[in-house]
Amino acid sequence: MLEAEGHQVELVYLPQVDSPELLFQHMAAYRWVDLSSADRVICFRPPAHFITHPHKILWFIHHVRVFYDLWDSEYRGFPDDLKHQGIRDSLVAADNAAIGEARHIFTNSNVVAARLKHFNGVDSEVLYPPIFAPERFHCRQFNDEVVYICRMEHHKRQHLLIQAMRHTQTPVRLRLSGSGGEAYAKYLRKLIKEGGLGHRIVLEDRWISEAEKVDRLADCLGAAYLPLDEDSYGYPSLEASHAGKPVLTTTDSGGVLELVEDGINGFVVEPDPIAIGGALDRLYLDRARATEMGQASLARLQDLNISWKHVLQRLLA
Amino acid sequence: MKILIVNNMAPFVWGGAEELAVHLQRNLIAAGHESEVLRIPFQWEPASRIPSQMMMVRAFELVNVDRVIALKFPAYLIRHHHKTLWLLHQFRQAYDLYDVGKSNLPRGPEGDELRRLIRNADNESFQESKKIFCNSEVTKARLEKYNGFNAQILLPPINDPELFSGGEPGDYIFAGGRVNSMKRQHLLIEALPYADRAVKLLIAGPPDDQADATRLQEVVERLDLADRVKLDLRFLPRETYARYVNGAAAVAYLPFDEDSLGYVAMEAATAGKALISTTDSGGVLGLVRNFETGFVASPDAPALAQSMSSIFRDVERTRGYGEAARQLWRHFAISWPRTIETLLQ
Repeated sequence: MLEAEGHQVELVYLPQVDSPELLFQHMAAYRWVDLSSADRVICFRPPAHFITHPHKILWFIHHVRVFYDLWDSEYRGFPDDLKHQGIRDSLVAADNAAIGEARHIFTNSNVVAARLKHFNGVDSEVLYPPIFAPERFHCRQFNDEVVYICRMEHHKRQHLLIQAMRHTQTPVRLRLSGSGGEAYAKYLRKLIKEGGLGHRIVLEDRWISEAEKVDRLADCLGAAYLPLDEDSYGYPSLEASHAGKPVLTTTDSGGVLELVEDGINGFVVEPDPIAIGGALDRLYLDRARATEMGQASLARLQDLNISWKHVLQRLLA
Repeated sequence: MKILIVNNMAPFVWGGAEELAVHLQRNLIAAGHESEVLRIPFQWEPASRIPSQMMMVRAFELVNVDRVIALKFPAYLIRHHHKTLWLLHQFRQAYDLYDVGKSNLPRGPEGDELRRLIRNADNESFQESKKIFCNSEVTKARLEKYNGFNAQILLPPINDPELFSGGEPGDYIFAGGRVNSMKRQHLLIEALPYADRAVKLLIAGPPDDQADATRLQEVVERLDLADRVKLDLRFLPRETYARYVNGAAAVAYLPFDEDSLGYVAMEAATAGKALISTTDSGGVLGLVRNFETGFVASPDAPALAQSMSSIFRDVERTRGYGEAARQLWRHFAISWPRTIETLLQ
């Protein structure tokens, strides 16, 4: 997109590790990266923000989370002891300094912006990441199928949708598409079989081409996206919105709730099978409303200014 | 296997080494491996910041990588338990270029310290590598002379040999590749007034900068050769470039002291074209043999003119040289599958 605007762009990908022992070694390495031949540098994932440059712009998408918001979670993977507290405090201090060098600080969601404020005392501007070539997506019809096009992983909770299908009263159908873990797909298949839902659920545990994705979204009744506590709204919900479809999500899906408003451009329900089943039925029964909410999805993209035009304008401001 | 190709990156510059890395990756994947290219930024100016960038490379940890193939300084300093070097470049400014006074390293204690640092780090990296390949005799000799390490020569293959199928010789001598003062396309133009009227020249390729393009245009104008020289100075689509090669009477390539055979010469030989080069062109002479695959002239106008005229005076002999060039190149038996096999042995 920057190139389309006439800029020269290079992507720099460098190795990154998360282990506490190597954190500072890598930080130092990034400190020594010399990108002075560039006019501007835009940094995304840590520790890229440690790169020094007179015109450094951060589009900050997450911390090294185990030392931040995931400290008090099962993901930490090391003890809450003096040593690791020391590492954490040093990391925060170093992050504060590196972030402070930036000319502009953007984040990809309110969630991350709030974290930056809470942990680092830094104000930032939310700049929602658009998808590639959004004009590909369009709406053709509203059939009987709710689609969930996303990697198949436990925290994306495809299983919750299958369980919900047992509680539906209508012939609404479900399609789960995406590659992922073998074991989880097997578990999903078992759930479908146990529920006797084989005739109403299609499980495509494979990589879905972009063209297939566009088609599925053009024809579907609505799209589901119900990950557990995501940072950002997620591309699946964004793609559905570009296709003018309502999005079904759950109250604990985190950043998705920045995009989806209950009853406006989709449904936000409790993460339990009965509530989700009810929402599936409502989409099926009231097509006029589904169509209306699909329109609202498109409008929502405008309201939140999710476009490459806006992104470029702000990044280069 | 998961194979990481590690190369340098000079932001906003793309050249032969970058192409080589991409094609190496493509061919590793074709051979059934997973492969990625890691491009590590490196800026050699100012020289005082070279040590910190060496530290940077040394500090990176690679996980989820079975093998590393590293190409350039300082990228090859990266630590890995199974590292193979395919050495395209040491930091020549700390070695041979320093000796001939063409280095950005300062003279005196500061420069000596930098050179010592670079040499020590190089030696350590060479020591910890499983195997070292060089892309030419010249690189290999340099490595032996300055660092005392032995390497095996592994010449880089042509990336798209199918394009260079050859063809009927046309009425021009082709000079392709990057255009700059080291590649000396201007020598060919300056030789034309001494050559037969029948000799025409096509010079095509990307100039390094505008001055390089202007220089050639000025020589053509000054010598009033517009009717015998065609300049097509831009980055050419591969198909266009191949068409120029395939339709040429002969291909001239006379860089100053090149390390390797040079893609231009390798591609011309693939197409079965007679070659013209100069006595000081270095590695290129591995393919250009006087009165065998073409002509090796001294780098002055009358001598070059003699070679250029000869191309058209005895067309049958020229054709024979072209065929000999093709045979010689085939004799090297350089292909991507074999190269991959050697690199992974």
